[in-house]
Amino acid sequence: MMPIAINYDALNLVTLAPMLVTLAGALLILIIDLIKPNLDKSLYVTLTILTLFIAFGATTSVKLNSRGLFDLILIDGISVLGNLIILIGSILFIPLALTKKRFHEFSYPEFFAMFLFMIFGFQFMVSSDNLILIFVGLETASLALYPLIAMHNTKPSIEAAVKYFTMGAMAAGFYAMGSAALYGLTGSVELHTIAQVFQERIHEAGSIIPIAGAALLLLVAIGFKVSLIPFHMWTPDAYEGAPAPMAGYMSIVPKIAMMVVAIRVFSLYFDLNITLIKYVIIALAIVTTTVSNMMALVQEDVKRMLAYSSISHAGFIMVAVALDSTKGYASIFMYYGLFLFTNLGAFAMLWISRRKTARFHERYHHPYEKFAGMIHKAPIAAVIMAIFMLSLAGVPPFSLFWGKLYVISAIVDKGYYTVALIMALNSAIAAYYYLKLIVYMFLKPAIVKDGQIVYANRTLALQTVIGFAAFVTITSIFYIQPLMSYITKLIVATHI
Amino acid sequence: MSVGLSEYLILAVILFVIGLTGVIRRKNLLMLFFATEIMLNAANVALAALSSYMGDLTGQMFALFIIAIAASEVAVGLGLLILVYKKYGTLDLDDLNLLKG
Repeated sequence: MMPIAINYDALNLVTLAPMLVTLAGALLILIIDLIKPNLDKSLYVTLTILTLFIAFGATTSVKLNSRGLFDLILIDGISVLGNLIILIGSILFIPLALTKKRFHEFSYPEFFAMFLFMIFGFQFMVSSDNLILIFVGLETASLALYPLIAMHNTKPSIEAAVKYFTMGAMAAGFYAMGSAALYGLTGSVELHTIAQVFQERIHEAGSIIPIAGAALLLLVAIGFKVSLIPFHMWTPDAYEGAPAPMAGYMSIVPKIAMMVVAIRVFSLYFDLNITLIKYVIIALAIVTTTVSNMMALVQEDVKRMLAYSSISHAGFIMVAVALDSTKGYASIFMYYGLFLFTNLGAFAMLWISRRKTARFHERYHHPYEKFAGMIHKAPIAAVIMAIFMLSLAGVPPFSLFWGKLYVISAIVDKGYYTVALIMALNSAIAAYYYLKLIVYMFLKPAIVKDGQIVYANRTLALQTVIGFAAFVTITSIFYIQPLMSYITKLIVATHI
Repeated sequence: MSVGLSEYLILAVILFVIGLTGVIRRKNLLMLFFATEIMLNAANVALAALSSYMGDLTGQMFALFIIAIAASEVAVGLGLLILVYKKYGTLDLDDLNLLKG
């Protein structure tokens, strides 16, 4: 048999470096546990953060617009941005494992190994335009994420994991069917080849219905993962059942990964001038934002309110996907970059006050009453929480105001004035439930006199993460311009 | 009568709809997982048929990857189901009602 000659330059293994670093870190943690069991979790936290920092460096050093591994891997602007947001989110998340109370999941080194495997999957998902590799990355990440939720080992967390799993498996079915349709229409699973074939075939009679049908199947799969209404059934339950930092993490990293896939898939359709897809996405986004805002208004629990607010933010961003403009795409990453710090900070504030048992409500751990009169008991914590809430509501000068500003101005640039108006009105409605928490914290009399209630789970690591998130949220006015020009530069460099 | 591409594609669509109905209608979690597997296998049938029709191996490769992913999904899913059964004592979806609203 003839040996197959492979040119190492054509393989371009450098493009694989960020993923390989994460994989090596995960394997290292498993090996360390094998050699010397029962080590303290702080070692694994440090190792994870170190791995993520090296992966961060590797991501920024890969040459832009390079392909590798038989053209399977594609490192372009949006994949670099997606990778950076995923890694920053993970670096901020993992110190939250160093809590004062002991929680079940963090005592296993497998938790940290599986966490890195999950990031490995997300990295593949954002840095490929091959439908097979996107699917494998998506499922690697999802199948690692479900056990991470279930490892909390309480009844609600297992219920959350099962609900997430069922919906995720269904989304996988839709994705597989959608890719099969694309493959059947074009004979390729690479999005850039599919785009070429579509450009040639779009003028054939009767070809528009199957082409749009494939997009709708993929839209359902993407809708499940970024939790667009009506595919959101699992989201509030999964966020409520999962531990608070995991819920904050799930509202950012899996969604930005799926957003990158959505940009890659749907930009292909926008080039074909199929406006139906555009209007379906915008309609779904408007429904998502409005309905989830209404649902958030009536919640009694702060965590569940934040879950609905995350859905409404995802809907807000989804409009930008349908704009098909450089500014629209840039504002997606801008928004998620800022949302990451604010939302993870808000969920970490819930985590810092977490106890083993719920004291104030038979079901909820964080009802509004728990935060009543917090300003008297823990003034700093109340002020930081209020800053996160104001930022989520889009009050200037806090960070998310700029995110909302860029998204709405991108919508106006495209001439969708009604959509822009609806989104602005929704932000106003959303302000009500964020301000409700502030009213509880600052104006209501305290139920308990014990200041410890806010700090039940406090450690230096948690305070550092929250302090850093609050710092980024407050000082946004100083870095917003350079950040936007950096993101725009990367988007312009991408051929989408 | 010969079986052509369109018969295979119709079969795939029928399987997909059966799977989707199962996911929506079934109350037992185990049955629900079977239904999601049927959905993935519908995609497999479509991919294999298309790949053979076009004389291109990519589709069959995709189908192999989907088989591997479906297997790992079962592994994770059954693990979760065992946990659910230990905590709740049932696999009925209606009894998993701690989280709602």
